[in-house]
Amino acid sequence: MHKTTLEFLKAGLQTRIQDMGRPNHRAQGVSIGGALDQSSATTANRITGNDPGSPVLEITILGPGIQFTGDACLIAITGADMSPTLDGKQVEMYKPIRVAPNSILAFGRLKSGCRGYIAVRGNWQVRRWLDSASATFQDLPEITPDSFIAKGGLIDILHSGKFTEDMDLRPERPIFSEHQIIRVLPGPEIEMFSQKALDTFFALTHTITPASNRWGYRLSSHIPMQNPGQEIISSGVFPGTIQITHSGAPIILMADAQTTGGYPRIAVVMSADMDKLAQAKPGDALSFRLVEQREAI
Amino acid sequence: MTISPFGDSAVLINFEQIIDAKINARVIALSNTIMSAMIEGVTFCIPAYCSITVGFNPGQIKYSDLVKKINACHLNDTDHIAKAIPRKINIPVCYDEKFAIDRAYVMHQTGLSWKEIIDLHTSIEYRVYMLGFIAGFAYMGTLPSPLQCSRKDTPRMDIPAGTVGIAGLQTGIYPTRAHAGWQLIGRTPIPVFDSKAKDPFLFRAGDMVRFYEIDREKYEATTKEVESGKFDMKNFVKRG
Repeated sequence: MHKTTLEFLKAGLQTRIQDMGRPNHRAQGVSIGGALDQSSATTANRITGNDPGSPVLEITILGPGIQFTGDACLIAITGADMSPTLDGKQVEMYKPIRVAPNSILAFGRLKSGCRGYIAVRGNWQVRRWLDSASATFQDLPEITPDSFIAKGGLIDILHSGKFTEDMDLRPERPIFSEHQIIRVLPGPEIEMFSQKALDTFFALTHTITPASNRWGYRLSSHIPMQNPGQEIISSGVFPGTIQITHSGAPIILMADAQTTGGYPRIAVVMSADMDKLAQAKPGDALSFRLVEQREAI
Repeated sequence: MTISPFGDSAVLINFEQIIDAKINARVIALSNTIMSAMIEGVTFCIPAYCSITVGFNPGQIKYSDLVKKINACHLNDTDHIAKAIPRKINIPVCYDEKFAIDRAYVMHQTGLSWKEIIDLHTSIEYRVYMLGFIAGFAYMGTLPSPLQCSRKDTPRMDIPAGTVGIAGLQTGIYPTRAHAGWQLIGRTPIPVFDSKAKDPFLFRAGDMVRFYEIDREKYEATTKEVESGKFDMKNFVKRG
């Protein structure tokens, strides 16, 4: 058995371990969590030969600095382009990277997207909760202490030491735009909104505000309500649900959101568009295009 | 009961939109029937006060087939309702000033003395209507109407686990350290959430909960029992 240790010389802005989250405990109020851009996360794992749902590092806007010690290992980087370098030399994303002992992986300028993913081939020796290594929300790092990356943190990864380097997925690499058109379906409370409010919602270009994170994206726009402050009896929500808050501001719920909510749900993002939404960052623009329900199901 | 699409990978089952124990019992029965039916392609089920959100994988099951299966579950859930005997859970609460951070506000808003507030809060059994907000948070009702208080405009940060709050006609216990928007009136020493336990959540929708008052001494003694591992939750929970 070979062992590689990742030592974090720099934490980055928000570096977390994520996998496919905890889908089975919503009835108990547990948010699903997991990698926001699931296709980038699973692609990174596929390149290294890991199971698609294995843990990855999710890095956001500003990447970490990582020194690899122990045995040589195989990694892959996908998602947002943060100008990755290995020992100062630029490395390719979306293809296997062999990392020699004591090499340092670093990141630079964010060129596109918002969230990058680093897969490392092997078995990650990190504590899990409810069958997932994903960092828990609620500011409770003690439940998944290994998954909140801090400067000086270590992750041990066990592997066979054997790997092939021929899985080149560069042709699958998506392009991330700073103005995305997101397809949505009507939400359960769409009829609580006037035609004028709906026209505004669908005509506007919305800006993602800095108060946006893995819990949800708050948009800068204002959607006039017929009865401002009207609430519904708390009902289920999930990533992609768009609520209009009392102030008229839309919030798109993301993976760390709560399981129920009381704000009117105006629309729901099509599941196929969630991964590209995950690559939108504060300051980026979004437009919504309404898709008829019968087209979608 | 109506079933309608909720995005491309969930359905929303709505019952009459009121907060009512009988309707909530139907929600829980149908939700349990759907979960135990193990329908292929169903990814999650969120029972709430008077609705259920059921997630599905469109690659595994079509919307129209899922609706048929849910309707079939609905025909079979009457037994569930008849047989459902709720668990009864007794929760000790210390209403001491140290824990009742919003004591003054609640007294002012209700016009009641602190003793009257405690007597009212401990006077009835509450139903756990649903879990939500954060992991393991149980929404309980219905609070006696004289205790009705508004929520805080700005939530308090980092409230300790076990803090008991009220808002509107609801009461609840913060299961973990959390941001609390409710008015805080006490704290329980018993763990309602234990991340290390096999089943980390004390409450389930449909449980009946009764609060009783304990003093600071008893609070500290129970806290010590919890910390030393001597505490036994069985003494507080009666199986249905």
